[in-house]
Formats: sequence, C-alpha cells, structure tokens
Amino acid sequence: MRVVRTCRVLGMEAVAVFSEADRAARHVREADQAVAIGPAEASLSYLSIDRILAAARETGADAVHPGYGFLSQNGDFADAVRDEGIVFVGPPGDVHRRMGDKKASRRLMAAAGVPVLPGYDGDDQGDTTLLAEARRIGWPVMLKPSRGGGGKGMRVVREERAFAGALAASRREAMGAFGDDTMVLERFVERPRHIEVQVVADGEGRTVHLGERECSVQRRHQKVVEETPSPALAPEARRALCAAGVAAARAAGYVNAGTVEFLLSPDGTFSFLEMNTRLQVEHPVTEAVTGLDLVRLQLEVAAGRPLPLAQEEVAPRGHAVECRLYAEDPWNDDLPSPGRVLHLSEPEGPGIRVDSGLDAGSEVTVHYDPLLSKIVTWGQARPEAIERMRDALHRTVVLGVATNLVRLRAIVEHPAFAAGDLHTGFIEEHLSELTPRPGPPPRAIAAAVAALGLLRHDGAPARPPAPDPWSSLGPWRLGEGR
Amino acid sequence: MRLRCGDETFDVQLREAKGTFEAHVGGLEIRFGLEPSGPGVFVVRDGTRAITLHLATDGPTVHLSWDGVAYTLVREREGARPTRRHDPGALEAPMPGRVAAVKVVPGQRVARGEELLVVEAMKMENALRAPRDGVVRAVHVAAGDLVAPGRPLVEVE
Repeated sequence: MRVVRTCRVLGMEAVAVFSEADRAARHVREADQAVAIGPAEASLSYLSIDRILAAARETGADAVHPGYGFLSQNGDFADAVRDEGIVFVGPPGDVHRRMGDKKASRRLMAAAGVPVLPGYDGDDQGDTTLLAEARRIGWPVMLKPSRGGGGKGMRVVREERAFAGALAASRREAMGAFGDDTMVLERFVERPRHIEVQVVADGEGRTVHLGERECSVQRRHQKVVEETPSPALAPEARRALCAAGVAAARAAGYVNAGTVEFLLSPDGTFSFLEMNTRLQVEHPVTEAVTGLDLVRLQLEVAAGRPLPLAQEEVAPRGHAVECRLYAEDPWNDDLPSPGRVLHLSEPEGPGIRVDSGLDAGSEVTVHYDPLLSKIVTWGQARPEAIERMRDALHRTVVLGVATNLVRLRAIVEHPAFAAGDLHTGFIEEHLSELTPRPGPPPRAIAAAVAALGLLRHDGAPARPPAPDPWSSLGPWRLGEGR
Repeated sequence: MRLRCGDETFDVQLREAKGTFEAHVGGLEIRFGLEPSGPGVFVVRDGTRAITLHLATDGPTVHLSWDGVAYTLVREREGARPTRRHDPGALEAPMPGRVAAVKVVPGQRVARGEELLVVEAMKMENALRAPRDGVVRAVHVAAGDLVAPGRPLVEVE
C-alpha cells in the first residue's frame, strides 16, 4: 500500500497481489489492478516465486517491488524477476545472499574496516574449535546461526559449562529453521542500543546515507518503537556511524535502499550487526525528517537513474518517532490476538502520519505478521515528537482485537524513554510499569450501558447518523439486539 | 445490567429522563448526557465537558474505548452463576494457531513456568508454560493440530 501511493504520485499504475485472506484488504482496493495469487497460507501465495512471476507476466508489469516482508530479502526471487526481464526494486540476488549470511558478511565488513564485535566467523565448526574461540572472545558469548534471523537459534552463553548444551540446541534450531547449522560467535554486549543507518545507492556506485534510526525499544527481537535521530549520538559519533554505514553498503556492492544495523555498546563503541537488503518497516521516520519519499528513490534507482541527490543535500530536520501497533495482548504475555476489527479510529493532525492497512471489518488472521499499523509523529525536537505521539496514541481506537496500544502509551510516557535512556532490554526491564491494567471507570461503564440501550430498540441505532460512504461500507454490528 | 471485566463485575442501574441519564454503578451515582455521533461513536456530556465513547458489540461481548483505553466487557444475566470454574492447572489455547511442538508427556513432572508446548500464530512461535508445579495429567493435542482459543491443551495437577 505504501508502494501504491508513491506509484500514484509518479503516475505509474500499481498492481497488487493478494492471498484469499486479503481479498478485501486496503492495498488491494487502492491498487489499479489486483491479482489473486493463492490461499491464505503464505508458502502458497506471498512466498511463491512462481505465482508472483505469473501475476507479473499476466499484467505486463515493468517492475516488482518486494515490500518489507516475505520474499523481500530473497536473492533467488530477485534473480528470478530479473531473468524474466522485469526490474526488481532492490539489490541483485548475490547481494541478498551475501548479506543474508552472517559469517560472510562479518568477514566482508571486517575487511572493509567496518567495526565488528570480537568474534569468530571461521569455517572450522568443530566443537573444540568453537569452545576455544568462545574462551578467546570471553564470556558472555552470543551464539548466532549464520543463516537466518528473527532471533531463532540465538543464545547467550554466560559461562563455559553451559556452552556445549547451548551449542547443540542452537544448531538444532538453526538446522530446523534454516537448513544450515553453521554458527557465528560474538561477544555478547549487555544493555546495547540498536541503531541503524539508512543508505541508498545507485547503479553507478554513488551511495548516500539518510541518517540513522534508533530501534532499541524491542520485544522478542521485534521492534516496537523507533526514532530518528538517536538520542544517544553526539554529532561526531553520528558522523562516524553514518560513514561506517556507507562503507558497509559500498563493501557489499549495494544498490537501492538498504539498512545497515549496528549495536552501540554502553561505552560508546559501535559494531556491525547485519544489513537488511530491503526497505524497512520503520522507514517513515526517515521520510519525516528528510522530507524524502524512499519508495520513490527506490523506483528511480531501480529504473537505472542516478541518485537525485548528493550527501550534502540530505538535510534532516526535527525529530520523528514511530510506534508499531500490534495485535498482541500485553496481558497475555504479548501473544498474538487475531480477530475481527469491529471499530477503528485513527489519529490525524499536524505532524501525525498513520500507515495502516486496517479497516473496520478487517480480519486479523493468524497467517501473517500481527503488525496492524504504524503511527509516526514529527516534532521540531524530540520532546515535541513525543508529545504528539502521546496525543496520537490517546486518540487511536481499535476495538475487537487486543492490541499493544496501552503498552505503547506507557512506553512513550515512561521517564526513562523521555530521558532517552534506552537499550534493547528496555521493555523487559520496565515490564510491569509498561503493562498497566486500568479497570474501566464507572462513568465509562454507565455510558456504555446507556449507549447499548440507544442501540437496542429495534436492532438499529435510535438516531442513525447521516450515511457517508466511509461508514456505510463498514460492518454495523452494534444493533444485534441480543 | 450486569457486566464483567476480567474478575470484576459491575451492576448498572440506568434511568433516563429528558435526555439525561442517571446511572448507579458500584454505589456511585453518575449523571450524564449521551448522543450518537457516528457509527459506534457517542458523545458523553457532563455539563460542558464532553468525552468520546467508542463502542462495538459482538454477541454478549462489549468492546469500548474511553479516554484512549480499550476495555472488553461481557454482558451477564443478572443472578446468573459464574459461567465456569476455571481450573488453575488447565492450559488453554490463548489464541488460534497451530501446535508447533509438544514438549511434555502425561505423567511428567513439571515446574511452574516450564515450557509445555509451542503454538505458532502470526509467524511467531509462542511458548506456553506450566501454570503451576505439578504432574502432567493429560495432553489433548499433538504437533500439527490447529487449535481454537479456549481449547484445552494440557492439564497439570
């Protein structure tokens, strides 16, 4: 949907692909054409290279934008699209594969002078070698499957006697999830911050950065709140980090928009974590401060045009924060909560942007990611962006599925967040304060009962509001009169 | 009307006179005006103050948003007994999903917080843990099963 909007601005026609579960989704309605590519199950639809290529052929598409999830970092998909003579909006397949391999990318970055954590990325994967390397690195050590992501198979080993068991478990999980149990070892950093650099490169090797984003507020390796600029960086440190991001992209032979992720240690040193070879979910904060349309840049570079701006022309202004609204229940251990959205009200106003695929009536299914929408606010400075976020969240209403809305509000209202005192364990550290459970105020209950009464006379609202095209499409389930 | 929110129950008596409501909730007397202002949206007035109530129903379930917080209440028949006694050792599926792994067998001793099974939903694997120390009395599902919310999975006694 994000991509459809830019296509429209550029006067390009957009074709959406959809699974049965998304037949009525917003991205399908907003696109000029839409093609059904299979059942709800992603492996038979959104993850099917053949079906997506067939849709591209059928509609005569000139280019394929892979979005942020599913096949967006799949090198074989990128190659298959190009082999059809269709432009792939992203880097070539070999770049995806190179950066999707932690061992290879670590070596590449170290060779290019990009800082990496003390670690081991060797080919000898024998138990004794790995243990010896872990000792050399020093405890605690992080075990990471070389292929894969999302935290699967990753383990922190705090002492030598736990190493053998952890290694066996990580290998097993990595083999199960990624079909490859090659491990990388790295020193485990306590209380790190996650800071990433947005880069864009054209086919001629011109590479610019669009500043950094801090994404330290996470839960289970899933980002929850992101912002730019990072409150942790002084100008000098920011320059060094962004320069390292550009160096990393150059070393990778990168083309198109990508993100270089770094860990920032409490001592102020930063190290390469990984590169995401796609547009990221949190790109709107970068758009908010730079005024650029990242999808537009992606399309221009993919069309073979040179980057339309030089590094000096990138002039970020103000501060932006993004909150991810998830269909997850904070009082039920953040478990996903699928269901039907019965009622929806999204905030708007100065400095507020909402990227959402939601409608009243949308079914939140078990098949896909629980991300419902992204709320982005901008301010002249960080406090103003946070105030606007607090207000925007206060005016966000999603009824029918449990969401993390109360959690998001508690985060942006937390004094440690206001102080910019963040690390990737922020949510765990403050979990009880970030999981408030307010009871309904008596006045709210009284008003709800009165409202139910108004609705119940004859199964219709007592005084129906004037019909408008936005609401008449939504489900009107209030007057069932039970 | 009786409404339940989690463990709390609220009995509400309501009277309307000339567009003004008078409610008794938990010993409090509350007066307010109420007007519909859109689908599922109401303006609640207290003198010159106005607050927005968002409301949606799904069978006996009432979802409402008030002052930026969403609440889920369930309408109960007054005088009805609590619907069911919750067995503290029973583990139920908290959401629809697919059982990815079962990590215990009947007769096995488990500690509170120990991983009993993994349910996959929305691309995430979610570990479900023992609600208390005890012995696994029954395992009702196998890996690969699709489960609906509330479906009993494992019993620990």
